[in-house]
Amino acid sequence: MSRLALSLRINGETHEVLTAPHRTLLDVLRDDLGLTGTKENCLEAECGVCTVLLDGRAVNACILLAAQCRGRDIVTIEGLASGGELHPLQRAFVERGAVQCGYCIPGMILSAKAYLEECPEASEDGIREALAGNLCRCTGYQKITEAVATAARELYGGRTTQ
Amino acid sequence: MSTGPRVVGQRLPRLDAPGKVTGTAVYAADFALPGMLHGKVLRSREAHARLLGVDAARARTLPGVRAVITAADVPDVRYGGALKDETVFARDKVRYVGQPVAAVAATTREAAEAALAAIDVAYEPLPAVFDVEAALAPGAPLIHEAWPTYTAIPILHREGNVCNRARIVAGDVERGFVEADRVFEHRFRTGMVHQGYTEPRAAVAVWDTSGQVTVWSNTQLPFEIQNTLAEILALPPSKIRVIVPGIGGGFGGKLRVGVEHFAALLARRAGRPVKIVTTCEEELTAAYPRQSTRVELKTGVTRDGRITAKAGRIWFDTGAFAGSGPGVASVATLVLAGPYRIPNLLIEGYAVYTNKTNCGSFRAPSGPQANFAVESQMDMIADALGLDPLDFRLKNIVREGDEGPTGQVLTAVGLEECLRRAAAAIGWADRRPTADRGKGLACGWWTTTGGSSGVYVKLNPDGTVALNTGAAEIGTAALTGAAQVLAEDLGVDLADISVVSADTFATPFDFGAQGSRTAFAVGNACRAAAADLRRQLCALAAAQWGVAAETLTVRDKHVVGDGKRIALVELARLSQASGGGLIAHGTFIAPPTAYDAKRVEAHVYPAFHSPSFHAHAVDLSVDRETGEVTLHRYVVAQDVGFAMNPTYIEGQIEGGVAQGLGQALSEEIVYEGGRVLNPNLTDYKMPTTLDLPRVESILVEHPSPVGPYGAKGVGEPPNIEPPAAVANAVAAAVGVRVTTLPITAEKVALALSGEATP
Amino acid sequence: MSFECHEPSSVTDAVALGARFGEEGRFLAGGTDLIIQMRRGKVGPRHVMSLHRVSGLDRIEADGAVRLGALVTHRTIERCPAFQGPLQALVESAAVVGGHQIRNVATVGGNIVNASPAADVVPVLLALDATVTCLGPDGERTLTLDGFLTGPGQTARRPGELLTSVRFDQLPPGSATAFVKAGRRKAMEISVVCVAVRLTLDAAHARCQEARIALGAVAPTTLRARAAERALEGQPLTDEVLRRAGRLAAGECGPIDDVRASARYRRLLVETLVPRALRRSLERIGRAA
Repeated sequence: MSRLALSLRINGETHEVLTAPHRTLLDVLRDDLGLTGTKENCLEAECGVCTVLLDGRAVNACILLAAQCRGRDIVTIEGLASGGELHPLQRAFVERGAVQCGYCIPGMILSAKAYLEECPEASEDGIREALAGNLCRCTGYQKITEAVATAARELYGGRTTQ
Repeated sequence: MSTGPRVVGQRLPRLDAPGKVTGTAVYAADFALPGMLHGKVLRSREAHARLLGVDAARARTLPGVRAVITAADVPDVRYGGALKDETVFARDKVRYVGQPVAAVAATTREAAEAALAAIDVAYEPLPAVFDVEAALAPGAPLIHEAWPTYTAIPILHREGNVCNRARIVAGDVERGFVEADRVFEHRFRTGMVHQGYTEPRAAVAVWDTSGQVTVWSNTQLPFEIQNTLAEILALPPSKIRVIVPGIGGGFGGKLRVGVEHFAALLARRAGRPVKIVTTCEEELTAAYPRQSTRVELKTGVTRDGRITAKAGRIWFDTGAFAGSGPGVASVATLVLAGPYRIPNLLIEGYAVYTNKTNCGSFRAPSGPQANFAVESQMDMIADALGLDPLDFRLKNIVREGDEGPTGQVLTAVGLEECLRRAAAAIGWADRRPTADRGKGLACGWWTTTGGSSGVYVKLNPDGTVALNTGAAEIGTAALTGAAQVLAEDLGVDLADISVVSADTFATPFDFGAQGSRTAFAVGNACRAAAADLRRQLCALAAAQWGVAAETLTVRDKHVVGDGKRIALVELARLSQASGGGLIAHGTFIAPPTAYDAKRVEAHVYPAFHSPSFHAHAVDLSVDRETGEVTLHRYVVAQDVGFAMNPTYIEGQIEGGVAQGLGQALSEEIVYEGGRVLNPNLTDYKMPTTLDLPRVESILVEHPSPVGPYGAKGVGEPPNIEPPAAVANAVAAAVGVRVTTLPITAEKVALALSGEATP
Repeated sequence: MSFECHEPSSVTDAVALGARFGEEGRFLAGGTDLIIQMRRGKVGPRHVMSLHRVSGLDRIEADGAVRLGALVTHRTIERCPAFQGPLQALVESAAVVGGHQIRNVATVGGNIVNASPAADVVPVLLALDATVTCLGPDGERTLTLDGFLTGPGQTARRPGELLTSVRFDQLPPGSATAFVKAGRRKAMEISVVCVAVRLTLDAAHARCQEARIALGAVAPTTLRARAAERALEGQPLTDEVLRRAGRLAAGECGPIDDVRASARYRRLLVETLVPRALRRSLERIGRAA
């Protein structure tokens, strides 16, 4: 079987990876690079636990071939906190009680980050729409939505409609 | 502590949140060991067939394949809960599409999949039964011909395809119907639904040279898995260590052995660690979903709305093995009786075998199905009698000191307060505010499951405290709740507590994260351990000061008394220097709940411990043309006894309602001819952010005399009432009574168009 | 899944690879269908030609006729200012495909070539009388979208041919479009039924000059409801006329029973949603005027 040599830029760091062509970004992140903060579940882009940012946009790593990510900028949950300091979204999720089992949370936070960068004037409806591709089975999404609104206020100072 | 609680009752962030938001928390699906192989399970393609042969010779020769096992390679053991009817792999015949037939371990997942494809299985199809009616029909094929020979707890009432019939008999139901002015009979059906945890079931197993196996798994019940593996592997439990690294949701679906046994058996055969993670298709075809049911209810009522008698039957399609069925059928009878004063009862719960996946436990097992029937019928009766559904309930609900259906005396009954507050919050007085908009109510009761818990509490060198518990944190924050109890009782902060959990070798026994019991039971064990540690701390300080320990107390991270104070950090140093440090042990077992044994037959769960009471109310609109339901508001008033951490109790309520609304409106595992038509998340439809309304939680507090600080179990109840509340609101909105779950837009629209009865 | 991966850097290279591998090759755009189908074992190409390095196919040109490059994503359509007016149905349909993660990568070309009868954007394009352009070893050819879609998962695309763009004319004054969809959930849904309509009224806004109705998930391909269209054209659009169009559309579609819905319910939805979309379209023309 052939192998592809890929140079992947993940959380600001370049990783040289040798992988089979069929392997997805999710496979490479979890199995080759040990970045298991990106979660695995349905493998059909229905649940969103594998959400990462590709050039700043939320994507499902489970259906993205690693080869398609060559030369592009990837951010995973491991890339959010800096110097031991939680990102405002992470802090809001902790403080607003938005975390239960936590398995969906990395994907949620990354979807929320992409959305807030696009729409700093976040509304509750907008937040819910932006997170519709991330299933959570624990929370009913209410405290997650509140956490994103809280982070939006902190990050962009805007008034978020509740 | 005269100033009132500092830690319990507070909205404090859960202890494990930082690891979960940074991606550093390790879940079972993330866990890996050097040299680890990947395991896969070959599953039956037939619903009911004689197994003529399993030929794995070709698979064994494929590149990368390190182990292939079939029924011939594993101990011939039948295991199970109340009824031992299950085998590791199908022997002689297969009983459902998805039943394990063989398993392989290989160096990659792809190689393992290729090996599965190379195993040849020969089947000879047998007549099959796919629903309860067919399974109970005269002359129906038996799923288990040898059922009488199976080991079972003795009280079960079994006959052919019925693996238990539990019963409650109280008063004289026939006389009760004679006393009634009206007798109402209705039938209901509910679909099979999956717990929908986001992390698939996963396990990694490795053996050491002494013949001991260690299994990292996302089970809710590590000690039960230890015992089950002991049965399956024919080893003493002391050779089996089960560790729960982290769980991405369970909701009852991770109570019983899932893939742990395959990982252990393959790892033994291969001599290397083996990891197995289920696929989404396996989850939706071969896990432990909630049983579909059929319900018949006959209720007698006086003209003024007093219930005189109820006869009810509920049939659970438990699938090809008993699983949780015998117990769930028992619990169901208490739900079917309902939180009502009914002098004459005849309630039966049946668990019935069919050729479908083995069903199990899902958050409040039997609760939503039975409550949907009971609470739908309450509204149907109220409508027929011209009574307001709230008034009709208030006339009949149980109150302080009443008897439950099996004679247990009910205390701390907050039901009336729940009903009144939920109704007020939803604006019940305006039940049909505009065209096609309506409000619905439903109420219920539930248990706080018993079982014992032990904890060790250890004083760290810096004066902080380690809580060592055998319970797993499955996401509910129950262990944060228990840690709050410990912090409160030790006079330290929540941040001073670290939790070590769920390791069958290192942590004390715990009955497990099930049945809304974790915060309740572990919290109580923490109370006992805190008392023990306080005694030890005071004794140590007393020895230093030469005073009587009884004169000392622990407060604000110090032992104080006799005009002196000494910090816990100093005591920690002293204890380590002289006495091997301080460790306290605390245990708890819920006291038995008395009931009238003459009222029950074949009943695995005859009374609800520290019962909780709750009422739900929903405000929704129905699109008359498409049948689509839009939820506007949802209110839950739940008697939680004492709100240990209101934030996470709200979280339980919001999440439980979300799951309940999924079952109410969109979710169903659909079978046709023994095959699941929707084994993927495209067509198994769990609610998204846009499907759910805001949920308002009203925390009612009628303290349990037994719970820590009065707490009752809170995790399961929010899942119970949503289907009934929605059904009642849809009826209020457009006059269509849907008696089957899920209440799809299609059912509503076809009923409104006069094309079908729902 | 096991295949060779190719990463052509131009349309020319892609087409050359397409010609070389023929039936054994598949072009990969967003991958939201292809990767899943490969993982489910439904398709097993030996060569996958990923288009992520091909530039120039991700642009929307809207001066005069509208031309969407095949690699334009659903999210780009959703946020395109040129589609906020009479072409709003494009936004409405693109915005209900999956979640943001899907829409950020799923392309219009992929949606067309995948030829799912339940596709959401395709009915809108059909209602706009769109044409598609394919480039193959024998050169470029342009087909009507209606003719391009031949069956579930089947198109008139020849092996190795690359769909490069989809094109339609700007709408004349007095026109509007609308898209409505029914599904069990309010997001992440494959349509149980979807309906796209385009209306053009006469100068006096008294009668319907031209109508297009396209239906999703009720036939082997996305379907034009031509009898319903004819019943509208030349007529004043009273509510009765709109409802009659709904009944006709319900009559001319051919839905099936599946796990998502019964054929009976799908027909009922068509009967309901067609007039609903037409009404919405009429309101939009009224508002614009």
